[in-house]
Amino acid sequence: MHVELSNVTKVYEDPPQIVTALKDISFHVKEGEFLCIVGPSGCGKSTLLRMIAGLDQPSSGQIRFRGDLLTAPHSKISMVFQTFALLPWRTVVQNVEFGLEVQGRPKKERAEVAMDLLDMVGLKGSENLFPKQLSGGMKQRVGIARALAIDPEVVLMDEAFSAIDEFTAESLRAEVAEIHNETRKTFLLVTHNLPEAIELADRILVLSARPATVKSIVGIEMERPRIQTDSEFVSIHRDIFALLQAELENSIMRHRLSGLKEFKRLPDMEDR
Amino acid sequence: MFGSKSFHRVREKRVRKSRPPAWAVLLVAIFALWESVSLSGLVSSTQLPALHDVFLALIQLAGTPFFLVHVGQSFANVTTGVSLALVLVFPLALLVGMRSQLDQAITPIIMLVGALPDLAILTLLVTVIGRGNVAAVAISAFSAFFPVYFTIRQGVKEIPGDYFHVASVFKAGRVQTFTKMILPSIFPNLVTGLRLSFEFSWNVLLAVEVIASVAGIGTFISSSLGSSAHSLTYGLAAIMTVGLMTIAIDRAFFERFENRIKRWR
Repeated sequence: MHVELSNVTKVYEDPPQIVTALKDISFHVKEGEFLCIVGPSGCGKSTLLRMIAGLDQPSSGQIRFRGDLLTAPHSKISMVFQTFALLPWRTVVQNVEFGLEVQGRPKKERAEVAMDLLDMVGLKGSENLFPKQLSGGMKQRVGIARALAIDPEVVLMDEAFSAIDEFTAESLRAEVAEIHNETRKTFLLVTHNLPEAIELADRILVLSARPATVKSIVGIEMERPRIQTDSEFVSIHRDIFALLQAELENSIMRHRLSGLKEFKRLPDMEDR
Repeated sequence: MFGSKSFHRVREKRVRKSRPPAWAVLLVAIFALWESVSLSGLVSSTQLPALHDVFLALIQLAGTPFFLVHVGQSFANVTTGVSLALVLVFPLALLVGMRSQLDQAITPIIMLVGALPDLAILTLLVTVIGRGNVAAVAISAFSAFFPVYFTIRQGVKEIPGDYFHVASVFKAGRVQTFTKMILPSIFPNLVTGLRLSFEFSWNVLLAVEVIASVAGIGTFISSSLGSSAHSLTYGLAAIMTVGLMTIAIDRAFFERFENRIKRWR
């Protein structure tokens, strides 16, 4: 058991309202697996990932990594961001080296690791470009290389493909699947894109609408590479989609009955 | 061999090289107008000295140690004042940009102080502290305070939240987060703030120098106005000198920073 969540609850207080984003979430992540988390929009899946990244704390419940309680970012848990979050004043290679720089690794070692990874993600030759000169897909490749540079055990991906055009995203997904296959690191991907989840995941965690609970955990047995037009793919998609659809209708019902006229958005992370 | 596209490109380049910049053309036109107005006798030389007279005075002044000492003194005072303001304001602006509670408490008060008429206050300050370099530095620091505060504060507020997340995830400590993420992030704002502060301080200091006879170019300008017949000429020459100095510093110093920033922005 690589990462384990036990009864994790997250509550936001915005007086007079109390918003429960996540309620009693318990699941575990197997070492080396590719786990995707899906759920209706705004259900709190990113919040969940941020807590595993150590960027936020559960209101109650525990998150454990390799059995140890997780209260802060861990040096073996890395993250790829939806917004890419590259530091614009740094070149591509300098961005990839960021984590290694923080760790105090010597210059030569940093350069070697960074160049190897840039080669792996197909950016050889672009190392001295600035982020402003890169396309979205290229930026995310840098993000992935940066995440891998510190040799993590777990790679968290927060809607990593959602801000990229579909064609580039498709090839990027295939590359990530390949990287996962080769390195056998644990990958955790939060996404609202169901076909993407089915294409990549060993297991899919389906969250309910807010307050989010674990609705279902679906194992995907298909062989890779997975073709979206295959009949097995389509039928799995149909099943999980039905789950999500029901969830969405349920939550709308729930809100109508409780008299709330609009969905309340979760607060952004304000004070740093 | 030469397709029409490449031929046009060759032509364009040649034309661009031989044309002087637009601002130079305009400046020459303004100078020409000035000179012709003076020479024609439309305006008497006591109201507007001729351009060539001012230029001559400028060249003369540039060789005068007395004048150069004044200029150097003012410049040193402004630089000291701005540096002082930066050292004092930087940590405050940083904190205020990061914690909105602090921001809401402190910024309105700063804005209140900023709304007060600064020239009046500073002239009063001189009567309290006395004329001299201490007062000049205090005046410069005071005027530099506000641009530096607001530009740095804005810079910090504009840092995308995800940059902080990156620093956290890769386990950067407080110092590292500051040096590797916050500082480079707000560097453009810092340059803007310093540039503005420098300009404001210069102007305010000169004005106070003229009003309250604090040592420096301002005093020189005001005293030159009181004395001989050609004093206005020297006054204008001194003013031009200040203008030239400001441009020179801007080009040599701040523009270098701006170009560096343009690489990645």
